[in-house]
Amino acid sequence: MNGWMGKIVRIDLSSGQQEDIPISPETLRRWLGGRGLGVKLYSDMCPAALDPFAAANPLIFMTGPLTGTVMTSGRYQIVSRSPLTGTICDSSSGGSFGAVLKAAGLDGLVITGRADRPVYLSVHDGAVEVRDASALWGLDTQQTQGAIMGSKNLKAVAASGNRATVIADPEAYKAMAARLDRAVDKNPVTGKSLQVLGTSVLVNIINAHGMFPTRNFRAGVFNDAEGISGEKIAESLLQRQSACYKCPIGCGRTTRTRGRNGEGPEYESVWAFGAQLGISDLAAIAEANYACNELGLDTITMGSTIGCAMELHECGALGEKLDWGDAGSLAGWVADTAHRRGFGAELALGSKRLAARFGRPELAMQVKGMEIPAYDPRGAQGMALSYATSSRGGCHMRAYMIMPEVLGNPVFLDRFATAGKPEIVALFQDIAAVVDSGVLCRFLQFAMGLSTFSEMLRTVTGLDFSEEELLAVGRRIYTQERLFNNRAGFTRADDTLPPRFFQEEFQVGSSRHRRVRLEEMLDRYYAVRGWDAQGAPLPETLAELGL
Amino acid sequence: MAGTITVRFYALLRRRLRTPALEVEADALTVRELLLLAEKKAGQPFLDELLDAGTGLLEGTMILVNGENIRLKQKLETQVGAGDTVDLFSPAGGG
Repeated sequence: MNGWMGKIVRIDLSSGQQEDIPISPETLRRWLGGRGLGVKLYSDMCPAALDPFAAANPLIFMTGPLTGTVMTSGRYQIVSRSPLTGTICDSSSGGSFGAVLKAAGLDGLVITGRADRPVYLSVHDGAVEVRDASALWGLDTQQTQGAIMGSKNLKAVAASGNRATVIADPEAYKAMAARLDRAVDKNPVTGKSLQVLGTSVLVNIINAHGMFPTRNFRAGVFNDAEGISGEKIAESLLQRQSACYKCPIGCGRTTRTRGRNGEGPEYESVWAFGAQLGISDLAAIAEANYACNELGLDTITMGSTIGCAMELHECGALGEKLDWGDAGSLAGWVADTAHRRGFGAELALGSKRLAARFGRPELAMQVKGMEIPAYDPRGAQGMALSYATSSRGGCHMRAYMIMPEVLGNPVFLDRFATAGKPEIVALFQDIAAVVDSGVLCRFLQFAMGLSTFSEMLRTVTGLDFSEEELLAVGRRIYTQERLFNNRAGFTRADDTLPPRFFQEEFQVGSSRHRRVRLEEMLDRYYAVRGWDAQGAPLPETLAELGL
Repeated sequence: MAGTITVRFYALLRRRLRTPALEVEADALTVRELLLLAEKKAGQPFLDELLDAGTGLLEGTMILVNGENIRLKQKLETQVGAGDTVDLFSPAGGG
């Protein structure tokens, strides 16, 4: 089979039984792989929403038809229902594990059940084995580990193998890959900026736009931004750039501080442990980032939740002493959260549950329970709509509207305008869903459009995908995610932002005197999507997408 | 006596010029004119990081006058004056 391995294994950790899940060629064409096929498999297995920690809740590791082929194709997606948000959720991971899992013979691995002792899964030549992991329990994470894996007594997934992805048209593939090489090299973002300065180049950019969230989104300008900027990291902490599988960009930062080496901080992490907390000590920020890497914590959720606690303390709702700018306590809070020690047990709730517990739910900067990242939505109306309608909560990766609204790629849009934004947000959401199903790195989008993606699929799988068909795949995925979330109880009322963004204005910076104008966009967004006024997909939309 | 306009350099521009900012003495001129003066004052060329063949803005170049992108104004013909701050970002991105 071209592109795909043709094998998805389902394993039940309770019984140890495993079986192949047959996937038709038509299903592959409609859902590709990665996020799309994972969402399809998950929805088929769980028509009703399960408790994320229920043994029956599937945890799905997915590669895609492009995995192990072109540049940046070492990624994989994990699909399940999120314990943080209750939405369907996929998590994208870089590195090389995706390529290794595919070389071990799998397009996907569906894990259900709960082992009666700590185990890990070993995948080789298409065979999956359950092995004892008692010796591994308690060790730091290296690749992936999350709460759902813990609930299944699953410590790790190991894979090895050397099966090559079969390329349908090797000559055309080679020519396409060479053109992609040149495009990525020639593009100033992928060919230069990301290599030299990493993602933290955004610190000064977003700060200059007055939308760098500071002290739990109460200011849009952080006065110490220079001290935590990508430019500063490049001349202080940086040891060398690091890259994922077959990636010529290498946006990763291998850094060193206070005698330790580690990965990061990336832009979001610099912000989460920096401006969000009023901290400008780059060493402390890097150490908190290293700790999250080792303990398997998301830096955005961790930092934003600490910031929420700091505001709760400042306004008197929380007795525990967490003060703005307290860099010395940062590493301790992170470790305490991972081990649920002391106040760390409260921080481990995430900002939504934490703020509600202390009587001030509006102080959690989240959407559907997921913490909003490092772009204040008052500074970019499209980004605001993107957060509000994201199928996994307040994340920037569903439709990265900063690209047109701030960075001017591939076109420049007025960030304060609302007209036309619903159409573009929906389009970006659909494109992102396609790329996440390939599975490729989203940074390629700085240098290539959907037509290149279509060419990749054609040369690798032998199937002709028009751009129209690809966008329909994206729309199908996004709508399926919506269907799941609606069944899990989410409604229009959840497609919103914390009240701060509708009520409070910055007094300084170039996003001053602005509020989010979601009501100007949401109805139109639903109409563009073919959903009703409550955000439920209309019957004709489902029919058109074959759902 | 002429006033001053502050020009700040970011991203790869700063790496090249090894300075975060400089002051240009002027009262009223266009961004295009300001860039030429700034390049002269910097003592080394840098407009290739911002402009397409020296005439238009490269895709992804961000030039902010007091925080406002000149693409929303008159682009390179935008007027600037004494006391203004102009931020120059060569194309960059992350996420």
